[in-house]
This record gives sequence, structure tokens and C-alpha cells, in this order.
Amino acid sequence: MAVKTLDNKRNRLLMATALFLGLGAVPFFAPPFYVVFLNDALIIACLSMSLNLLVGYTGLISFGHAAYFGLGAYACGLLLKSAGLPFGVSLVAAGAFGGLGAAVAGFFCVRLNRVYFSMLTLAFSLIFWAICFRWNDLTGGDQGLSGIPYPNLTWISQMIGRPDFSSAQSYYLVSLVVVAICIAAMWIIVSSPVGLMLRTIRENEQRSTFIGVETRRVKLAIFIVAGTIAGLAGGLFAVFNRGVYPDFMYWTKSAEILIMALFGGIGSFWGPAIGSLTLLLLHQETVALTEYWSFALGVILLVLTLRFPSGLWGLFERFTNTRRSK
Amino acid sequence: MDTTFMQLKRVQLLLGLLGTLAASIASAQEPIRVGFPMILSGAGGQFGAPILKGAQMYVDEINATGGVLGRKIELVPRDTKSRPDEAVRVARELVLRENVDFLVGTFTSGEGPAVSGIAKEAKKVFIAVAPKTDRLTAPDAIHPYVFRAAANTTTEGRAAATIVAKWNIKRLATIAPDFAYGRDATASFVAHIKKLRPDIEIVDQQWPKLNESDYTPFITAQLGKKPEAVFSVICCGNFDSFARQAGAQGYFKSIGNNFIGLGEAGSIEALRALGGEYPIGVYGNTYDAFYWKPKDSEVARLHAAFTKRLSTALKDDTPPSWAVQGYISMQFLVEGIKKANSIDSDKVSTALKGLEIVSPQGKITMRAKDQQATRGMLWGKATKRDGYAFPILDGVELIDPTGFMD
Repeated sequence: MAVKTLDNKRNRLLMATALFLGLGAVPFFAPPFYVVFLNDALIIACLSMSLNLLVGYTGLISFGHAAYFGLGAYACGLLLKSAGLPFGVSLVAAGAFGGLGAAVAGFFCVRLNRVYFSMLTLAFSLIFWAICFRWNDLTGGDQGLSGIPYPNLTWISQMIGRPDFSSAQSYYLVSLVVVAICIAAMWIIVSSPVGLMLRTIRENEQRSTFIGVETRRVKLAIFIVAGTIAGLAGGLFAVFNRGVYPDFMYWTKSAEILIMALFGGIGSFWGPAIGSLTLLLLHQETVALTEYWSFALGVILLVLTLRFPSGLWGLFERFTNTRRSK
Repeated sequence: MDTTFMQLKRVQLLLGLLGTLAASIASAQEPIRVGFPMILSGAGGQFGAPILKGAQMYVDEINATGGVLGRKIELVPRDTKSRPDEAVRVARELVLRENVDFLVGTFTSGEGPAVSGIAKEAKKVFIAVAPKTDRLTAPDAIHPYVFRAAANTTTEGRAAATIVAKWNIKRLATIAPDFAYGRDATASFVAHIKKLRPDIEIVDQQWPKLNESDYTPFITAQLGKKPEAVFSVICCGNFDSFARQAGAQGYFKSIGNNFIGLGEAGSIEALRALGGEYPIGVYGNTYDAFYWKPKDSEVARLHAAFTKRLSTALKDDTPPSWAVQGYISMQFLVEGIKKANSIDSDKVSTALKGLEIVSPQGKITMRAKDQQATRGMLWGKATKRDGYAFPILDGVELIDPTGFMD
């Protein structure tokens, strides 16, 4: 049994490494459009996976997760553009701001359960949004912050021996590494005893208190971790999108990533990533093909959700008939 | 027999040559593709859709005459959903996958600068159709590929000041939504009116939030300061509810209708939406008005012909005011291509600088200095006129901003 688990672990690690290397190879042969598209998908996948730490693992349905994504984006954008700090520093600050915002909001939110928790996360996200929307002098208000420069990434193109790489191509590699680190961190957390505690809280919070889990503290901790990763994703996205806009933290964005997570399957680690990739792809193609994008997208979503409630990952598992990952 | 064979051979050769020639011409006649990111859904769709139709009408007219440089123009529209990040996404897709040669479009002041960044990165000329924010072409944001065919907040505010300066009033109040456009337009107006009429005093400034549903507290507070006139930037689909609530409180009457509404308060869309409830006697602005009778006979002829074609194309006797912006933007692009004799964005950019076009509203110049068109707006006083189902603007005047642009 122990050997089998070890094997399983090694297989997973091998598969993740292969995925990482495969994604890393993309800019070397794929047309620039797909590099840009995958960059977008990577960042959003990381964001919806961070939300899944709360929704899927701990049973905390957050309706305001985009707030921390937005905080990170604004922090990174402002530090890069207005303060002229280096990209590395700005990105770390993005994570810190996301985490800080989550700590403040989480301190209050984790005291409540179920729908009250959800409503409070929504309320906090609206507060953060309103601040960024109204603070014209700092954030550019409704018009946002455009013209965020690409960091100087020539060292990357030189290091990999491709001086012809554009900033967008090099930036894809930066995003990939940062996202991989975030995903690895999330994987370590959910496979550790803390991960077990999260699942215990999800199944029965009262009982987990009885067996000695300090539920409030654990919930706050995972809320901050999720917020920090969302902030890092936001920082990456600010540069990728070349601008930060209040929409990034509006409740519609929160709903969007929640839908992505549900669509991919919140019962698994990779589900939300698959959901993000698929929805972004569907969105991309329906927009390009038809003006009635929302109608087409709605129909596809409706069919998939009604037919396959456990998400795409559940569907995938049904086919491969493997053991559920959790 | 032999000679006939030789002749046949020769004819064959000739035909072959002609065929190759035809093929090479055909490949040169691939259409010039123009990406058109625009709000096409949601609340902004009512403005974006006519803009796209206006642009398409110009494209159809040019294509009917053989196109430009012997090539047809093809518009590739994309919905920005009124979100700057979505605008960036579609602009990238247009450039990288659809291989468009140019970008024309965007509506909000968030989308404009966002797409401008992509145009700079891709080195493709981008003509902004409607965003008014000064930031788009500010010295720190300008680059060789961004041009604006719309008015901007500075010229709009200053144009309003030239009108208000003629009013016999001393106590002036302002009301504007609390977002960048509202703040910027008000600041530009206040600075200019103080220059033109130092005797005018600003007695009150109200900043309701964008999409406010209840304007009553702001209206009451403003009337309490007893202004003699009001400058407003209530815009973006909010003018309806504002005008209804203000009208019910006798707001317009108590200031003797000395009210000037920016943000297209005088557009056909706004006039039609309010109908009988539109405050008669107030000033408003708009990009176009099908009933406008320009004084200059040449402009009058151009505008009448444009309106007629637009009515036919849209099957609408009272065509929308936004279509002209799409039309003029495409006109700038095509005439820029013609002047450059190339579709290379660097050459078109050079050609666009200082380019003068004869638009359906008369001459407009794309200034070389700030890549901003000398685009004026129409201003007039709302009035009831027989034969129209809704109020129209009276004494419509196109205020040319050239005199007061920086």
C-alpha cells in the first residue's frame, strides 16, 4: 500500500513536470496568438485554483475572490508605473497586498457560516472595488490604469538563447514559472495535514472543533493563502493586460471565476484549471465566430452543467475511471 | 497547318501569361482588414451598434467605388462588452490571429487607452472613435500609432464655456457624475469660464455617483444655493432619470432653463428616450442631428446627402447621432491610406498627421501635434417642432474647437 502511494505520488510529480515542460515549450513553436491566449489562461487558472482552496477544499463559498486579484493587480500596476519599482518587487507586493486584503476581510468573514460568509465576502469585495473605482487620483477611477510597461525581460530571451523573443513571449515564461510555484504551494498545502483539516471543516465544522481543530484560525489562514495567490495572479495579469481596471475586482469577475471553478469541477485539484481553460477557449471562439456570444456560451454552459454536474473533471474521471483525487 | 499550330501555341502562351497576371492581381486585391473593437452588447450597445453601422456604410461606399489602392476594405467587428480587459483581449486577437492591418473603434475612456497600448505594441495604427479622455493622447501616453477622431474632455468643456459666457448670469452651479469623465469635463469648463467671464461665481458643485438612481438630494441641495444657471455632465444613459426627477421638482424652471448638458444630452437617443418629458429650453450637445441645417451651403449639401444615405442604409427616418463617428473615423483611415499610398502603419501614421478630410460635417483636421482631430460637436436648445415625435435642438451650431485647443 505504502509503495503504491509512493508510486502514485511519483507519477503525479512526473505528470506535473511533463505538463510544466510542455507548456514551457509552447512559445518556441506556437504562433504568438496562442502564447498570449495561454498566458491569459494560465493566470486565470491559477486564480480559480486559489478560489478552489476555499470553495472546494474548505466549503467556504466566497463571492468576492476577485477583490484580492484586483488588489494585487492595482498594487503591481501602481508600483511598476507610478513608483517605477522593479517587476520582481512589484509582484511580491501584489501577493502581499492580496494577502493583506484577505487578512482584513477574512478576520470578519470566517466568523460567519454559509450564506452569511458568502454575503460578507461579497460586501468586502464591493468595498475594495468602490475604493479603487472612486480614488481617481491614485487608481485612475473608472478609467483605470493603462499603459503599464512590460518589465525588461531581455535577460530571459538571452538566457534561453532566443534573443528574437518578444516581451510577450518572455513574459509567458515568467508567468508560467510564477503560476507553477503557486500551484506547487497549493498542492503542498492540500496534501499536508492542513489539507485534511480543511476537508474536515468542509464535512462538519462542529465535529472538527470537537477533535481539536481550531477551525476559525485554519479558515483565516487558508483565506489569506488564497488571497495571496489571487494577488500574485492579479500582479501577473496587470502586466499581461497592460492595464488595471476596476472591473477586475467587481462582483461579476468573482462570479466568473466561481463559474470557472464549478464548471471544471470543484471536487478536484486540477478541475478549476480545466474549467478556466475551457471557458476562456469557448469564449474566445464564440466571440470570434458569432456576435451572439453570450447566447452561444449560455447554451453550452447550460448543457454541460445539466448533463455533467460534477464538472469537466468529473466527466474526465468517469472516462478514465481513476480513483478520485481527493 | 503548322502555322495554325504555332498560332494556337502562341495564344495558349498568352492566355497562360494572362492567367498568371490575373492571379497576381487577385492576390494583391486581398481586402485591407480593419479590426473594430466596439461595445455591441449591454447598455452601451445602443451607441456602439450605430457607430459600427456608420463605419460599415463608409466601407460599403468606398468598396463600391473600387476600394482604396485597388483593394477592398473589410471590417472585423468584435464586442468589447464595455470592459477594458475584454477590449485588450479582442484587440490582441484581431492583431495576432485575424491579422488586421489597422484598429478603429472603442467607446469608453477605459477601453481607448487600453487598446492604444496594444496598438503601440503591435505597431498598428489605431483610431479611437468615441473615447474622450484627455489621457488617451496626453504627452506621456501618446505614441505614433494612436489617433482620435472624437472630441475630448478639454474641447467639450471649453465649447460649453463659450456658450455659457454669453449668458446673462452670475451664479453658476455644476453637476456631474463622480468619475473621471465627469470630473475632467467639469474642470476644463470651470477653468475656461473663469477666463472668459471672471465675474461668474461657482456657487455649488454636486457629484452624484455614476448610475445614481435618486438625484433628489443633489437637486434639492443645488437649488438651495440659488444658482442662476447649471452646467451638467450627467451622461452615459443617466440623463433620462436625472431629467425626469429634476423636472418633477421644478429644477429647470427655477434656473430659467439656463442649463447646459454635456455628454450627448442633446443626442437624438436622449431626446427620443425622454420624448415629451425632455426639458424644453435647455442646451445640449450631440455628434450629429439629422435635422441640422448648416449655414455653409457646401456643408449643408454634404450633410443632407449623408443623412439621406444613412436613413436608407439604416432604414430609419430619424437616424441615430452616433453613426457619424464611425463614418468619420473610417474616412480618416482610408484617406490616410490613400495619402500614404501604402497600408504600412508607419507610413499611414505619418500621412494621418495633419491630414484634412471633408467629412459630412465639413472639414476636420487630424492635428500633427497631438494626433487629435479638430472634432467639434453640435450644440443647440431643445425645442418642440411640428412634424417630430420628440423635441429637437433649435439653432444647432457646430462649435469648431480649433480656436481653443491647446
